[in-house]
Amino acid sequence: MSSKTLKYVLKRIAMAILTIWIVITVTFFVMRAVPGGPFLSEKAVSEATQKALEAKYGMDKPLMVQYFTYLKDIVTKFDFGPSIKLRGRMVIDVITDGMRTSAKLGVFAAAIALVFGVVLGAVAALRRNGFADKAIMVLTTAFISMPSFIIGSLMVLILSVKLGWFPANGETAKGLILPIIALSLSPMANITRLTRSSMLDVLGQDYIRTARAKGVPPMKIIFGHALKNSLIPVITYVGPMLAYIVTGSLVIEQVFAVPGIGRAFVSSITGRDYPLIMGTTIVLATLIVIMNLVSDILYKLVDPRINLE
Amino acid sequence: MKKLICMVLVLAMVLGLAACGKKSGVPKDALAVCIASEPDTIDPALNSAVDGGTMCSHLFSGLAKWDQDESGNLVITPDCATELVEGVENEDGTVTYTYTLRDGLKWSDGKDLTAADFAFAWKRAASTALGADYGYMFEVVKGYPDELAVEAVDAKTLTVTLNNAVAYWNELLAFPTYFPVREDVVSNEAWATDPSTYICNGPYTISHWEHNSVIVLSKNPNYYDADSITMNDIAFYLSDDANNMLSNFKNGTWKLIDDVPTNEIPALKKDYPTEFKVEGQIGTYYVCWNINEDILPADSKLTGAEAEQAKAEIRSAISLLFDRNYIVEQIAQGGQVPASSFVAMGMTDADGSQFYQNAGHNDGFTGYYDVSADAYEANCASAIETLKKYYDYDESTGMFTNFPTLTYLYNTSEGHKAIGEYLASALSAVGITMNLENQEWNTFLNTRKAGDFSVARNGWLADYNDPISFLDMWVTSSGNNDVQFGKGDNATVAAYSLDLTDLGYDVKVENGTWAETYDVIIGLIKTCTDNAKRYELMHRAEDLLMSTGCIVPLYFYTDLFMLDDSVQGFFSNPLGYKYFMNCTVSK
Repeated sequence: MSSKTLKYVLKRIAMAILTIWIVITVTFFVMRAVPGGPFLSEKAVSEATQKALEAKYGMDKPLMVQYFTYLKDIVTKFDFGPSIKLRGRMVIDVITDGMRTSAKLGVFAAAIALVFGVVLGAVAALRRNGFADKAIMVLTTAFISMPSFIIGSLMVLILSVKLGWFPANGETAKGLILPIIALSLSPMANITRLTRSSMLDVLGQDYIRTARAKGVPPMKIIFGHALKNSLIPVITYVGPMLAYIVTGSLVIEQVFAVPGIGRAFVSSITGRDYPLIMGTTIVLATLIVIMNLVSDILYKLVDPRINLE
Repeated sequence: MKKLICMVLVLAMVLGLAACGKKSGVPKDALAVCIASEPDTIDPALNSAVDGGTMCSHLFSGLAKWDQDESGNLVITPDCATELVEGVENEDGTVTYTYTLRDGLKWSDGKDLTAADFAFAWKRAASTALGADYGYMFEVVKGYPDELAVEAVDAKTLTVTLNNAVAYWNELLAFPTYFPVREDVVSNEAWATDPSTYICNGPYTISHWEHNSVIVLSKNPNYYDADSITMNDIAFYLSDDANNMLSNFKNGTWKLIDDVPTNEIPALKKDYPTEFKVEGQIGTYYVCWNINEDILPADSKLTGAEAEQAKAEIRSAISLLFDRNYIVEQIAQGGQVPASSFVAMGMTDADGSQFYQNAGHNDGFTGYYDVSADAYEANCASAIETLKKYYDYDESTGMFTNFPTLTYLYNTSEGHKAIGEYLASALSAVGITMNLENQEWNTFLNTRKAGDFSVARNGWLADYNDPISFLDMWVTSSGNNDVQFGKGDNATVAAYSLDLTDLGYDVKVENGTWAETYDVIIGLIKTCTDNAKRYELMHRAEDLLMSTGCIVPLYFYTDLFMLDDSVQGFFSNPLGYKYFMNCTVSK
């Protein structure tokens, strides 16, 4: 790695840390400015009880003091504190539990999207205007324009309720197959279209024509030259795709009753579980920042022509 | 093409491996049900939710329990106690109960359960320090909250002293907040979040818990009556998505689901006539006015008590413009019952009859107005006559022309929205504009509690079978006093009257404030030991409450759920708790 690349990477990492700090600060103060609170319920608790609870969770101190205590605990001890609503559970445990399933969902969905997206895109480009191309384009258009929760609901209706092939809840591993597919369809369709247009572009380049003229076998042209070079735009899409999968899984987890982090995130907000809101937001934001960082660095490594400045 | 096939194969293998990686912790014959998503807590003292209550009722055994008698009626029977004794009245009017525990009671880890465990658990649950939502369930016990008069005389004898005789005391004993917990177990604050630390004393223990996914309950061999438990394992799947619940019910995975999508109700009634269940629930769906909202016409000269009395008349008239049968049959569609009083159906009166049927003291109908379908037209006509006294009415169009614009606040939900839209349309038919405003749940609670609204959606579910649970929430200082009775401008408005001299009380107030009337009668109810008189006082309190017109009951809640035909021995109680211990499943 050249010193220029190293400098770029370090600069990007510093930016990433700054971004996460801004996310923490904004979330902390916006969350506390929103009306309501963790101890509000349909049946009101007495004032004495409310005071006792606020003292228990350190919410009786001035907001700035709470903010700095929170920052200090995270930076020095990696301590997200206890959840207020899920009494007795630590935020970090809730997040680890949820992430274990969400990560499985995300990794498989990303893998499927990449593998099938690239293959289908290449096939479509090579069979340009043929039946395969047209069929693939129709399907990908459908997958891109249909929101994942509609695809998910249709899959549940047909494959779980009518045919009974798959369970409609994500308690077992078999129950994760449908949500993984539902989550992967939209990014897969995007990758297919990206690969197709990029491949068509590459196939028209001079060096491909030269290779053909020199009598290089077609398979070698496709895999050795064309495909490799058509993947550069796909890599730029990996960052946003992973971000989509992280956020998209919030919806999919609901549709398929998958015990992921999405539910903890949503219910923490409706219940004003401040420590859990902070914890899930920080983890998800960090994840997205890291993914973008990796995709940017990867981009540079694959295509040396790109100027980092 | 070869590569493509390779890739597909590799992918299939990876997915297959993943499938092998995780085995379900749910026994094959477990009864699979879904009542809600992951409970906030299943510490019986801290729990305040219906789903958590159901789970605690399977995991713990209190002095009393809900059960079914031979003919299938719900009864409260002794559980850990040998019998549910009568209280002995002391000289100062307090009442002491002395309970004897059964022989051989054990915790799930094999240790002996003693009366001291009950005393500890009750003091803990009531304490300010714990801050439990339901700590107030101990309000009836002397010394509440921090000096609770409960004592373990010896290992098997427990005494407790109440401020006065309480009609629903046995029901409280069967309530989760009153279940025993052991001091060394709960000293670990995380005890109720993991099967290994969850030591209980009921029919079941937790054998497997995958957070947000499933909680499996398995029979507790140390339970004193383990032989009578027919269902060995229950799997509580955790989901709060009604559509997802329904999918899992339809494909036969889950045998009971406690929620259904509102828009599916008509289809479900038709397609699953024996499996779609409607049970009574003690609760009222209502609309509440902010008492301090000025609804008189801009040129009105009325002030103080006169203005308040006029507003009460106006609000009561507007309540008559709503067709509750339409709401129940066309919108809610879940077998709800049109309401004409605030204290809900299901509450019993002093003589064992229904409290709501004796409300309002009217001839020909029950409650404070006639909600039968035939009466609707007459109700509207009388409402318009009343409103004409205060507002300009255009006879040619049948519209009021100077009624101030109202805003109806509700929490975001399709069902509440549909009802709000109906209410607005019913009012616009007579020229009254009511805009709709929705807020997310927690914000809504905050706004409504602060009295920052003119008209708002509201609902109340009782925690025990006594009308006081609907009435004491409206005293001035109550945290649930959303109407703002006795607060703000209303604090000094002397518009209320109360005469209890015929009941032997030295209370006669004419044109008093809310604090001088309503707060006084609630205080009397809480200390009254004469059962018949106490119920009469509660009827009087409801009369006073309803005379303000601030409470507009729409319907009494029902509990809707789906239960598979193969399940026998299931029952539920009016609090919405579901009981599976006596279930069997036919193949």
